[in-house]
Amino acid sequence: MPRGRGVQHRSDSAIRHGLAVKRGFCMHRPTLMPTPMSRRSFLLRASAAGTTGLMGAWGWKAPAATLVELPFANGQREIVTNFPQKGAMVLLRTRPPLLETAFEVFDHGVFTPNDRFYVRWHLANIPTTIDTGAFRLNVRGHVREQLSLTLDDLVREFQPFEIAAVNQCSGNSRGFFKPRVPGGEWANGAMGNALWRGARLKDVLDRAGVKARALQVRFNGLDTGVIPQTPDFMKSLALDHARDGEVMIAYAMNGEPLPLLNGFPLRLVVPGWYATYWVKMLNDIEILDKADDNFWTAKAYLIPDTPYANVVPGQQSVRMIPINRMVPRSFFTNVQDGAVLKVGQTTKLRGIAFGGDAAVAKVFFSSDAGSQWKEARLGPDRGKYGFRRWEVSLRPSSPGPQRLMIKAQNTAGSVQPNQANWNGAGFMRNVIESVSVSVQSV
Amino acid sequence: MNLKVRMVGRVWAVPSLLAITLGGSLAWSQATNSTSATSTGASAWQWSNVSIDLPTSDSAFPPGDGAELTPQCLICHSAGMVLRQPPLTRDQWVDEINKMRSAYGAPLPADQVDHLADYLFRINGSSPSDTAAHDGDR
Repeated sequence: MPRGRGVQHRSDSAIRHGLAVKRGFCMHRPTLMPTPMSRRSFLLRASAAGTTGLMGAWGWKAPAATLVELPFANGQREIVTNFPQKGAMVLLRTRPPLLETAFEVFDHGVFTPNDRFYVRWHLANIPTTIDTGAFRLNVRGHVREQLSLTLDDLVREFQPFEIAAVNQCSGNSRGFFKPRVPGGEWANGAMGNALWRGARLKDVLDRAGVKARALQVRFNGLDTGVIPQTPDFMKSLALDHARDGEVMIAYAMNGEPLPLLNGFPLRLVVPGWYATYWVKMLNDIEILDKADDNFWTAKAYLIPDTPYANVVPGQQSVRMIPINRMVPRSFFTNVQDGAVLKVGQTTKLRGIAFGGDAAVAKVFFSSDAGSQWKEARLGPDRGKYGFRRWEVSLRPSSPGPQRLMIKAQNTAGSVQPNQANWNGAGFMRNVIESVSVSVQSV
Repeated sequence: MNLKVRMVGRVWAVPSLLAITLGGSLAWSQATNSTSATSTGASAWQWSNVSIDLPTSDSAFPPGDGAELTPQCLICHSAGMVLRQPPLTRDQWVDEINKMRSAYGAPLPADQVDHLADYLFRINGSSPSDTAAHDGDR
């Protein structure tokens, strides 16, 4: 069956909207990214170039939109700018929105701008108007005193707390799974790092007074399913985790209010844990005295209880547990497959790394497909849960193909694996990333 | 600007703040690059309401036998989610449809699952032996 079949249908909509004419434009790239099907063709240099160099040089009018091809089957994506409070985003789904961050954004700094930060909603009934005066955050259940906090209460009555932390979808990079698995077919852009500001969850729980037999804390936001049969999206944390002093209720992201699509006005921040727990539009906190049995906690977002959540396709009888701590990852951000380097010329390669639930300890670089590794230089530490810049200088000595690799190790000793993990949900990919370049004589 | 953000209710009138331009609803009066928590500045925070419009999808299921069932899918999500799946086997499509029915309450009658699966397999299908070809190194 032809691979491009599904793509045909998608391009129908593009053609209807006049997008097809300039399609080839998106294949133009700066020097380091010349191949059409390269791994990170979605770096979207094209859209960046569209507003600067190339467009200026050719006197172009901007096309209505740009299409990019992610390097897997049915990977054609439209770059859209029509979502509120968002700049150019990679469209995965319009309703409810799934918007991926263009990978080139990660080359610009360790904090991901709010208007480029990825977006992921499960349920389509999303409030589009927030009356901040009427909004209440309720804390209820096994507490001595129920709370109904206004937004001003949260800002003024609790000690502000700030932390940099990566928010990463459990299924980030799902599109790279082999064999493929159904789900949100992300490339590597379902992640972002922000400086979150808000109130510690512990302080809010302490004000309510958690009763002795409390076991878990359940979080619910304003979004709901379109039909009543759809389970409301809720997630729970163990009480000890909820009270660790790092889990927080954020009202600001990179110094600004959260975009509505990232959870305005309040979002739970669970540093080091996958984003499924970072409940958006948080308005209800319930302290439970028994294990949460709601669908999204008990039945969804489960991983095999194995190293790297890895199983063999088709493997049966694996114990499943709720997804939890993130694992380390690292990426190249200024070079991709097909880049051309010159013998004897020094190229500075750079990227980002994060340690998951512990800080980045070291980042290792290999220029020979993993035979030898050397430590990369690390940029400033902006917080153990955040992105950290790495950089190496590479001066190739002989021409030919060369495979560059990057891997991170965190302070708990966890290191990225050589082999990609696999599980049926497409969760927790963190294989060592590699880039194939061509070294040419000067 | 492509943004469809409109402010409703009160707007905080501090013209120098960038945040307000994107429907910013909270702002403080000094640079916000501080990395440590502080209890000062809370009085400078002001909330104001936000209202947005979300775009509608322009993706559509292709015509064909079985397409008449796809409005069931569109109750909860736009067509793009289906069209951007990897090509799935017919059995995988059956599983996906049944997940939508049992987990999320899609009101598709059981006796129409096969018909919808046939359609989805036809527009975005993969036979089991295709898997390796689809997912080989590229």
